[in-house]
Amino acid sequence: MTLAVSSRPTGRRLADWPPVVAVDEEARPGPSRRTVLQGAGLLVALTGVAGLSAAGCAAPEGPDELEGPLAAARADAAAAGAAGAAFPELADRLPPLADARRAHADALAAEIRRARPDRAPAVDAPPPAAPAPASAAAALAALRGSLGTARDGAGAVALTTASYRCGLLTSIAASCAGLAVVLA
Amino acid sequence: MTPSPPAPPPLDDDLQGAVLVALGTEHAAVWVYGLVSAFLPASTASAVTAASLAHRERRDAVVALLARTGVTAPPAAAAYRPPSPVTDAASAAALAAVAEDDVAAAWRAVAERTEPDSGGELRRLALDALTQAATTSVTWRGLAGRTPLVPAFPGDGSAT
Repeated sequence: MTLAVSSRPTGRRLADWPPVVAVDEEARPGPSRRTVLQGAGLLVALTGVAGLSAAGCAAPEGPDELEGPLAAARADAAAAGAAGAAFPELADRLPPLADARRAHADALAAEIRRARPDRAPAVDAPPPAAPAPASAAAALAALRGSLGTARDGAGAVALTTASYRCGLLTSIAASCAGLAVVLA
Repeated sequence: MTPSPPAPPPLDDDLQGAVLVALGTEHAAVWVYGLVSAFLPASTASAVTAASLAHRERRDAVVALLARTGVTAPPAAAAYRPPSPVTDAASAAALAAVAEDDVAAAWRAVAERTEPDSGGELRRLALDALTQAATTSVTWRGLAGRTPLVPAFPGDGSAT
C-alpha cells in the first residue's frame, strides 16, 4: 500500500488540511531540551550534570514521576518476551508488543536521565524477574491487565505533567490502549 | 467527566493554532468515514459508526471550547482529496488509518502546547483523541496490511 509510507504527505494533500506533521515537529523534544540547556548555560559546563538539574528545574526531590511508567514498560516488555518464548502460539502476536513497550521504556528512561541525572541509578537498576505464566491464555490475560494499568497510569501523569512530557505520556497511553486491543 | 470551567482564559496563539488544526482533522475524519463506509466490510460497520461518532463528538467539544474563549470555529471543508483513490476495502481502510494518524498528530501537538495548570480540558481531549485513534486504527491497519498495528508513539510524526 502506498499509504503505508507516512502520514506526512497525506496531511498536505487533503484540501484545507494544514501540514499537521510540520507543526508537530516544532514541539518535539529538541526545542525543549535546547531551552533547558540554554537556561543552564555556562553553569552546566562548569558544574557538570548536577548543574543541569539545579539550573533547569526547581531542585526536585524523590522519584521522578516517569519512573512508574518506566517500570511498567520494562515489565511488559520482559513479560511479552518471556511469554512469546514459552508459548510458540503467541510468537507472532507478542514481538510487536515487546518492541513497542521497549521503545516506551527507552524514551522514558532518556527523559528521566535528561531531567533528573540524580535518578540515573534508579533508571539503571535491573528490573525484577517476571513470573512465568501458567498458560498462553494466562499470559495474554496478564498482559491485557498490565497494559490497561499502564494506559491509565501514563494517562494520569499526562494530565498533570510538563508540556513536553504530556505529549510523550499521551502517546504512550494511547499506544498501550491499542496494544491491549490487539491482544483482545 | 468533570464539568467544564465556565470561563476559560483565552488560548495563546500557538495553542489556538494547534487546536484549530486538530479541529480540521476531526472535520476531515468525519468526512473520510462517510466516504469509506461504503467500501468497508459489513463486519466493521459498528466500528465505523463508533469512530465517526467519536470524531463528531470531539469536533463539537472543540467548537464549544473555542466559543467559550471567544473564537468562532471555521466550518468543515466541502470535500477533501484522498491521497490515493478509494476503490476497495483495503484502500478504504488505508484512508481511514491516515485520517486517524492525522488526528493523532494534531492532538499530540495540542497536548505539547498545554500547561498543566490551564490545559486540563484540552489534555483530556487529546488523551481521548490519541487513544481512540490508536485503538480504532488497529482494525484499519490490519485491513490495509500496515504494520505495526499499533505505533509505539501515536502522533509523534514518525513514519509508521
